[in-house]
Amino acid sequence: MSGTRILVVDDEPQILRALETTLRGAGYEVETAATGEDALTQAAVHPPEGVILDLVLPGKSGVEVCRELRDWSDAPVVVLSVVGEESEKVAALDAGADDYVTKPFGVDELLARLRAALRRVAPPGEPVLEIAGLEIDLEKRAVHRNGELIQLTPHEFALLRLFALNEGKLLTHRTILREVWGPAYQTESHYLHVYISQLRHKIEQDPARPRYLLTETGAGYRLVDSKS
Amino acid sequence: MNDHGLARHTAGVLTSLAAVAVVTGAIFALEPFAPVLSLGVLYVFAVLPVAVLFGLAYALPVSVASMLAFNWFFLPPKHTFRLTDSENWVALAVYLVTAVVVSGLAARSRRREAEAERRAREAALLAEVAGALLESSHVQEELGQIASRLAGALGAGRSRIELDSVRRPEGHESAHELRAGDRSIGRVFLDEEPDPVIARRLLPGLASLLAVAIDRERLGRQAVEAEALRRSDAIKTAILRAVTHDLRSPLTAIRAATEGLENASLDLSDADRTALLATVDSEARRLDRLVANLLDLSRLEVGAAEPRPELWTVEGLVGQALAELGAGAERVTISLHAELPPIEVDGAQIELVLVNLLENALKFSSPADPVELRGELREGEVTVSVIDRGPGLSDAELERIFEPFEQGRAPSRGSGLGLAIARGFAQANGARLRAEPRMEGGASFVLSVPAASPARTPA
Repeated sequence: MSGTRILVVDDEPQILRALETTLRGAGYEVETAATGEDALTQAAVHPPEGVILDLVLPGKSGVEVCRELRDWSDAPVVVLSVVGEESEKVAALDAGADDYVTKPFGVDELLARLRAALRRVAPPGEPVLEIAGLEIDLEKRAVHRNGELIQLTPHEFALLRLFALNEGKLLTHRTILREVWGPAYQTESHYLHVYISQLRHKIEQDPARPRYLLTETGAGYRLVDSKS
Repeated sequence: MNDHGLARHTAGVLTSLAAVAVVTGAIFALEPFAPVLSLGVLYVFAVLPVAVLFGLAYALPVSVASMLAFNWFFLPPKHTFRLTDSENWVALAVYLVTAVVVSGLAARSRRREAEAERRAREAALLAEVAGALLESSHVQEELGQIASRLAGALGAGRSRIELDSVRRPEGHESAHELRAGDRSIGRVFLDEEPDPVIARRLLPGLASLLAVAIDRERLGRQAVEAEALRRSDAIKTAILRAVTHDLRSPLTAIRAATEGLENASLDLSDADRTALLATVDSEARRLDRLVANLLDLSRLEVGAAEPRPELWTVEGLVGQALAELGAGAERVTISLHAELPPIEVDGAQIELVLVNLLENALKFSSPADPVELRGELREGEVTVSVIDRGPGLSDAELERIFEPFEQGRAPSRGSGLGLAIARGFAQANGARLRAEPRMEGGASFVLSVPAASPARTPA
């Protein structure tokens, strides 16, 4: 059988080898590249269905590769970052990357992120979303839990709607601000965390231990449909 | 000659004339009562003050003028410079010699006195300079004061001392080398030529004092640097020792586990294999945590941990910290005051503070005991306390526990970096972190953050 084609880009041979082995083992078809230029050439010849991209590369940086790839490809991109490069990571996410894992990462975590990113490619068409124990009616702008109406302010609803439409996807502060408050506010992250906190109080059972609306420190937020 | 000299000269001439006139008048007045020849000696009172006040250059003409006036007015034939008696010649000659000798003595004693006074002033100046240089640890800061005193002593209007200077004098300036032995200390710039004798006497002394002060300052600086180096060496050694130990033990565990798994001759059950793999996994995580801690510590030490303050709720930060903790989070009980205002901090850094405090509390207390996290509002400050029921802290440990590589009473686990990092990030965010002992046993770590002002919080 021919699995989903994944392009893995990293300049460290031992990481490349480890990823190639585990991804093959998980049933993917794997292409590898050691530089940004090489990655873009390979992607043009054999368009991948998903990309795992190291941020620190010789020559063209991971952020640049991400941006150029996004010009013509919708393939989900999971970036590999290290502690201390938070701004690079956020830049890659803003440039169109879908998610990230921090080195050293567990393979399980990487595979889970990759699967989630691959799954998200088709957006849902129905007007009522069921997620995080909530029923979100996008047309009527109403949110229910167990048949009970939850009162949300217009900004809270816009936030929840954005998260629900991007279930499982990491949304950067900039993306959230741009989508909910408008392009003029995309760098005004000052109050965002307080709004998120307020929204958690309305949709989480225990806002100090959120199960659905999760924080990705220094990067953004994501809504997950936690079944556990 | 300058204005000052001209005025002095004029005063000298006028005083000389006045002195001769006054004594001549006095002799006229006394002539009826005493033989005129014996009154000639009174001219000494004209010569003496002039000699004392203006020196020999004025006293000698006064002597001659006195003799001529005596001859003209009092010795027969009067109103001529001729003399009839040879006796009178002798008298005049005695008067002249007396006047010259007296004026010479007076002038010399006056010069000595002035000289002594000047030397005393110079000595006082050098003593003051020495005192000022001794008290101060920065020679450069004292130069202005020293220069203005020097200008006074050298009779100059302004002076400037430049250390290690080879600048040429500009305009009316005169430059004078400051040398201590063979060593050039710098230059003095004066707005006019100084008295060369005084300059020759004063400047070498000043140069020597400056040389001593400069050397002393340099030695002091070297001592401070040496001490700092020694301390940083001690810290490096401590870090190296701790890190070596902390790196080696997980590496040893990982190698032992992987070699065990590889060894075909070993009879391992599935449970054994799972246990060995779990060891590799947990030890690799421990290494990861250590490296992250070292990175955080070095960022704090070099001041690279610039916080990016944003508004956060305590609940949001606590939630992140709990998510970061993973399984241990289940032991944490949380009670947050309902009306806690938001705080303006770097979310990632304060999350790290909370994670380290919680990890510390979990590590040093029994797995059966809960760790309590309390959020309260105390006097305009938001406080987050992490309370454990571990062995607690002695008074001496309350501060020391925040030093890198310090650990409490519990047996060594971890590198002892967590609390040092927590305090570093707390302080970088304008927050305070301290440890408190508890009556009930265990320790309490209290993070205090100023509440964000209401104007900064969203409606």
